[in-house]
Amino acid sequence: MNSGLKPIGVVPLGEVCELTVKSIAANILGYLHLDTLILPPMEHPMYAYNERRHQYDAGAMITAMESLSFPQCDKIVGVVDLDLFIPIFAHVFGEARQGGRAALVSISRLKPPSLTSQEALNLQMERAAKVALHELCHLYDLHHCMEGLCLMHFSGGLEDLDQTPLYLCRYCSLYLRDALSVKRRHQRAAEKNT
Amino acid sequence: MEDRMTIMVVDDERIVRESFVQWFRKSGHKAEAAASGFDALELLAKMPFDLLFVDIKMPGMNGIELLGKVKQEYPDTMVVIITAYGSIETAVQAMKAGAVDYLLKPFKPDQLSLVLEKVTQQKRLASEIQYVKGRLDQMTRFDNIIGQSKPMQDVFDLIPEVAQSDSTVLIQGETGTGKELVAKAIHAKSRRAQLPFIAINCGAIPDTLLESELFGYQKGAFTGAERPRKGFFEVVSGGSLFLDEIGEVSRKMQVDLLRVLEEKKITKIGDRFPIDVDFRLISATRRDLMQEVSEGSFREDLFYRLNVITITIPPLRKRREDIPLLVRHFLEKYSQQTTKRVDHLTKDAIQLLQDYDWPGNVRELENAVERAVVLSKARTLSSGDFSFLRAAAAQALRPRSLREMERDHIQGVLEESEWNVTKAAKILDINRVTLHKMIKRHQLTRP
Repeated sequence: MNSGLKPIGVVPLGEVCELTVKSIAANILGYLHLDTLILPPMEHPMYAYNERRHQYDAGAMITAMESLSFPQCDKIVGVVDLDLFIPIFAHVFGEARQGGRAALVSISRLKPPSLTSQEALNLQMERAAKVALHELCHLYDLHHCMEGLCLMHFSGGLEDLDQTPLYLCRYCSLYLRDALSVKRRHQRAAEKNT
Repeated sequence: MEDRMTIMVVDDERIVRESFVQWFRKSGHKAEAAASGFDALELLAKMPFDLLFVDIKMPGMNGIELLGKVKQEYPDTMVVIITAYGSIETAVQAMKAGAVDYLLKPFKPDQLSLVLEKVTQQKRLASEIQYVKGRLDQMTRFDNIIGQSKPMQDVFDLIPEVAQSDSTVLIQGETGTGKELVAKAIHAKSRRAQLPFIAINCGAIPDTLLESELFGYQKGAFTGAERPRKGFFEVVSGGSLFLDEIGEVSRKMQVDLLRVLEEKKITKIGDRFPIDVDFRLISATRRDLMQEVSEGSFREDLFYRLNVITITIPPLRKRREDIPLLVRHFLEKYSQQTTKRVDHLTKDAIQLLQDYDWPGNVRELENAVERAVVLSKARTLSSGDFSFLRAAAAQALRPRSLREMERDHIQGVLEESEWNVTKAAKILDINRVTLHKMIKRHQLTRP
């Protein structure tokens, strides 16, 4: 599929289950209709480790990813298997800066403890895809949505996350469509100039 | 989820401020940050905020101090206290000082979401209360006392001002102009609003009965006083007492009233010991009390006691532009009461109502509309439905003496020219000295 935009780069940071990375890329294509490109894994982000909290600073990792050049990609989604935090929250499933270039999803807290291994893996992949798509939409300037049945509805915990669908509500779909068409125009203008 | 809000984060740690601001922006809120309590107050002075997230431990001015200042200067702004060092004492202190919630850093993402939902609900509730309060005010102002004319707007403007003070009020106006409604509105907007409002028509109660009604009596004070009874001065207990037709009370009652107003004490009939009473007195009259004072039939000292603030309600004939508005209101009222759907008036009916002089004022107009609605067989009232007014007008045009006619004519011209004697003399085609003599002869006084 050709969305007319550069693809979304999906990049593992450190050791991450390959299947989960592929599943995230497939869901981005399937639900948001955006091309994806799985990038070679980056090094384990030791620089983001916080000794006091024994967790990894999501903000520091996003800053590091944004400082790198990914000329072949429009946006980057990093995937980690590490416990993430931001200064105000005890933990986060993912992180992105509104309108930024890089998002992050962690599968560390998404694995259900009580299910059999295959079911657990399926649920973990579904949750990871939801978080990744949600954070990716923030990169296209979508806000949290009041509609419960929308990917952009804020999920504070796993229970909320499991209630959240993988698709956007009608309004958020429109916002995303508008944001993407603006992006395409800019991309075409940039290509013309070069 | 929550409505969009304008939020300020006050924290001396840059990284915390940024983290908050980013999260709020992701949720679509407008977010600003301040590094200290002083910066926060500066920002607040520039723009309004719905919600503040304030760190408790900050150099210079701590979170609790800032909370106190915010609650004092911007009571509508809600504050959530955040801290990394939680203790029950500080939480209690924050809540006592008016914080809506208290969060321990770092918190789970759903905790922040829950706090925002709570704040949104409180904000909605506050705006609903504000709306209902506004509606109630509007109802008092427009449903009970109706008028868009300048003189009525002046009365409306005066009511809230008068309500704020505790001074006695004298409401002057012809019969049926709505003096009691104005008194009720003053009471409703005053600090005594939650306490009783008691209205007594002094003209309708014989003097001896009025005394026992107002002052109360002890058992055996007079024949028939089989048990003690509290008077209205006591029953009103902190509320407002409305004495209508105050000009009708006897000289003896005037003395008693004066004493109560001066001492705020009453002695029940048959009792020996005075008791303290607390009330606000609003009185009303259709008479010219000043005239009564000059004639010696009303005590001057009581007049000045009653007349600290005067509100004059204009007669309906002086605000004819309010008639269509009043008619619509009464039509609606009586259509509902009678389940008859009468909701229109022909142009000639409106004209007739506007031309009529309404000696009984709004009360007479209300009665006329009620009568027309009850008797009407159509949805639209025509001038024929108000034919009884023509008969009343003809009745008013009984043969009168030349002196009466001269008096009424001069009074009418003076009122028309707002008591500008030069202007009135010009209209009457007489000189000013003659007009002054005539005013004296007919004992005309400026209202």
